[in-house]
Amino acid sequence: MNTTLDQTILRIAEIIINELKLEDVTPETFDADLDLVDEVGIDSMDLATIALVIRDEFGVRIDEDDYPKLTTLRIIGGYIAGKLQGDE
Amino acid sequence: MPSLLPQTVNRGNVTRMKTVSSLLNPQWHERYKRISKLNIRSSIYDVTDRCNLRCKGCFFFSSDEHKAASEEKDVAKWHAFVESEMARGVNLAILIGGEPTLCMDRIEAFYTRLPTFCATNGIIKVDRDRFPDLMVGISLWGDREDEILLRGKDTFAISSANYAGDPNAYYLYTITPKQLGKIENNIRRIKDVGLKVHMQLLSNDEGVDGFSWQPDELVAVRAEMDQMLDSYPETVISSKYYHQVITTGTMCGRTFGWMECPSVTDPIDKRNPRPKRLTNFIRWASDLKTMHRCCTSETRDCSTCKDGAAHMSWVMVNKRAHMQSSQDLQNWVEVYEMFAKLYRFIPW
Repeated sequence: MNTTLDQTILRIAEIIINELKLEDVTPETFDADLDLVDEVGIDSMDLATIALVIRDEFGVRIDEDDYPKLTTLRIIGGYIAGKLQGDE
Repeated sequence: MPSLLPQTVNRGNVTRMKTVSSLLNPQWHERYKRISKLNIRSSIYDVTDRCNLRCKGCFFFSSDEHKAASEEKDVAKWHAFVESEMARGVNLAILIGGEPTLCMDRIEAFYTRLPTFCATNGIIKVDRDRFPDLMVGISLWGDREDEILLRGKDTFAISSANYAGDPNAYYLYTITPKQLGKIENNIRRIKDVGLKVHMQLLSNDEGVDGFSWQPDELVAVRAEMDQMLDSYPETVISSKYYHQVITTGTMCGRTFGWMECPSVTDPIDKRNPRPKRLTNFIRWASDLKTMHRCCTSETRDCSTCKDGAAHMSWVMVNKRAHMQSSQDLQNWVEVYEMFAKLYRFIPW
């Protein structure tokens, strides 16, 4: 997959917006450095749901132990990129 | 406490994303951050099928859950089971029964590995040399008269002698309709023995005459619970929003029931659509194999369920639903803090 990091972040933002039914933000206006737990209010069950969509879409399995580290869109994007590079 | 920030985040024609810090002032945001990453993963365990009381209204016996499985008697298997539960991600063990203190070896299997809460009628004293900081929740069903009617004896006389001043014990006071106007007497006698109390409401599973909640009684008990929290803030562990939710059965415009309850055993939860729910939650029978449907009686009508933990969890798993206003999110923080205090994830 040749997805750039920015494209990945936009797609993750879109996934989160869809899964959480956020109505006051778009993928373009979603701050990639906003803390998803402390600011967006995501909880571990939300993360589990998002992880399933990411697995289906990117083919990347997110370990549950890694959830606490995945605090922003940018970090999740980097995590996915790292996993994909590791697979190559 | 009113928020220092505006409750709307509309700025002219530009709608800004609602964030936690846009809804909470710095003080409330700090409280939020203290709990937001706790990631509590609880499950509930029937430690035994036996009890040293037979209370009218105890769901465990009224719904024949004590007959659902034959209890595992090999303590080594309890130890192995707890290991497997930890591997499943459980980080809070809630022990119920029967009466767990009839089986201290089984309690120990949990206690030596996990934050453990033990619900008990308080008749048997937990040995504090063996279990120095085991969290103990002592059931109380009212005043002396109600206790004798529903439980066959005045348990408070025994449990308060066993646990007076214990910093790791508190009362779980199940309020019945008969207690209206008399709640303060019970709160005061709990305060007088140096313990704290959390209030919940009776679900009248056995249909004892006069013990089913009527709408006007629920209004009255909510007001009385609020008053107790105001009058005894150092003794009562509660929140007014919890009182609102448990007495009205509603939250954020939704009604509690089977399709909303978060405390359904995960592997046998066939609801579609699945509501927001406790991650990996299971209520295990004492054979360590059988799973009960939910955190309480399998035969209970969910529309009349007053289970305190289920209602607390209902609020807690619906955080985003409480991000509509500052007051909503503050309510959510208070309920989560209450839960975290009850299970000692944060200090009282």
